[in-house]
Amino acid sequence: MKKLNAEILNEYGPYQGAEAVHGVTFDGKRVWFASGDKLNAIDPDSTKPVDSINISAEAGTAFDGRHLFQIANDKIQKLDPTTGQVLATIPAPDGSSGLAWAEGSLWVGQYQKRKIVQLDPQTGEVLRDIESNRYVTGVTWLNGELWHGTWEDDNSELRRLNPQSGEVIDSFAMPQGTGVSGLESDGRDRFFCGGGNSGKLRVVRCIRD
Amino acid sequence: MESQIREAAEALAIGDPLAALNRVALRDDPSALALRGIAMAQLGEFDRARVLLRGAVRAFGPKQLLARARCIVAEAEIALASRDLGWPVKALNEAQQTLEKHGDQLNAVYARYVGARRLLLIGQPDKAAQEVDADNPASLPPALETIRELIISGIAIRRLEVRRARSALKQAERSSHEARIPALVAEVANVIESLELPAARLITQRCERYVLLDEVEELMSSKAFIVDACRHSVRLDGQVVSLVTRPVLFTLLRVMAEAWPDDVSRDELVARAFRAKGVDESYRARLRVEIGRLRRLLKPLAKVRATSQGFVLEPVGARKVVVLAMPIEEKHGVVLALLSDGECWSSSAIALALNWGQRSVQRALDALASEEKVCSFGRGRARRWRIPPMPGFATILLLPAALPVD
Repeated sequence: MKKLNAEILNEYGPYQGAEAVHGVTFDGKRVWFASGDKLNAIDPDSTKPVDSINISAEAGTAFDGRHLFQIANDKIQKLDPTTGQVLATIPAPDGSSGLAWAEGSLWVGQYQKRKIVQLDPQTGEVLRDIESNRYVTGVTWLNGELWHGTWEDDNSELRRLNPQSGEVIDSFAMPQGTGVSGLESDGRDRFFCGGGNSGKLRVVRCIRD
Repeated sequence: MESQIREAAEALAIGDPLAALNRVALRDDPSALALRGIAMAQLGEFDRARVLLRGAVRAFGPKQLLARARCIVAEAEIALASRDLGWPVKALNEAQQTLEKHGDQLNAVYARYVGARRLLLIGQPDKAAQEVDADNPASLPPALETIRELIISGIAIRRLEVRRARSALKQAERSSHEARIPALVAEVANVIESLELPAARLITQRCERYVLLDEVEELMSSKAFIVDACRHSVRLDGQVVSLVTRPVLFTLLRVMAEAWPDDVSRDELVARAFRAKGVDESYRARLRVEIGRLRRLLKPLAKVRATSQGFVLEPVGARKVVVLAMPIEEKHGVVLALLSDGECWSSSAIALALNWGQRSVQRALDALASEEKVCSFGRGRARRWRIPPMPGFATILLLPAALPVD
């Protein structure tokens, strides 16, 4: 296994009043990331900020094809991504961190409690509480490499794994003290990493020989 | 587009269905359908998962063998998770061969493990062991390694090899943390925890107490004469006599074992074994016949001696007699033990796992439902049964053998 360094191409933030980078979602054109008091849109090609919505954005972000959903404290706000207007607000379960829209429902991850809650996106009604205490369907769709961010005691790495064996092929060390939380790749050689509590979003490139 | 498929696949591989759905929830191409199906399964939405995966199989078309085989394995695993044990094993085996032929070693191993887990659930640990021993890939990814060790521990538990189960679980714990999949970490932790719960009751004339599985294992290799009410058999020095098909004889034996070294009166034996209120001559005659049958069955291990009052059990070598019973005993305790895994079972899966007839299962379920010990939802073939898990007992560990319901 080779030990290589990850090159940080860009850092955004920290934003004023933002303690951390939270949810990251990709709407097909832009990467949206939540940074405490804003939703920021970045053009993945130029890595430049192209838009932002001033809104409390402390946790997960999701997209249903037309609207953005953003967790903010004890509520989930439904936004028009073009105008930034809040169209509706529904209550969020306690301790919500992750968010996704799928199959007509909102799915909220309460990672501390190891629970996922299914919500009606219209009313916020809790349809189901899912305990994640049993692992189902590990059938893998991976043909190529598997990237995995690790972060322990202030040392973090981006690792490339062989999905067939789980073996670490390369590991790219991030500079000391830069964390990895949430990993989004642009499908080529760049990653968007949430910087955890640093409040930064980093664009990282891992160069292999 | 392709990058999103890959990212969703990566997210699913590390057990993060929400991140996966953020990539593919809005797409209807075959790969996206399959990934949505797998994500829904990870969220426990089995019905929706099934629909999506079947849609994916149709959309892939007959030429895309590899993709279709993956969908079939995922569907088989969903059937397993929803305790629908009657799904076609043949389709899973074919899918496994396809995966092997096309070099998808990882999913091929996974398919084999799905089959092994099903065998374990329907009480065939030896067959499950063959599946796990069949291949020993040098290095599996941590998640797959965890599942392998979970199966090995399950087999060991069924065989009452607790030390072996614990060492497999230790390994599973390590690799589940490496895999960093919360649901997998929790699943391993639950099994480890269950080994610290009472698995049975030990009953002698003098006392009755709960025991852990380790003690059950120790007992089995001890010199005691064991009347095993969990699996309706008798053990002495490694010899086993099964009374699974002889419930009346087993009851007589158990009553005498609980009274040992004292005898039990004829009246009490009649009352307990034949559930008769008053005892007349015809019952006494029937008792004589049944005791005669029991004597023949127990011949190498114990005698049944007549006393002035009734009968007394005398194991060879005047060994200590103990009765091993389920931690919670009731009429349909075996069904409850099976359901105590907290999953939703179909009645046909219960019949398969206990080796009962469908009608006996239905009767047991109806009785339990009338006492509000189980509940059902869905209709017809989609009907599922479950119980609120019974806290504090590991009823599942000593799953009984097939037992006829009279």
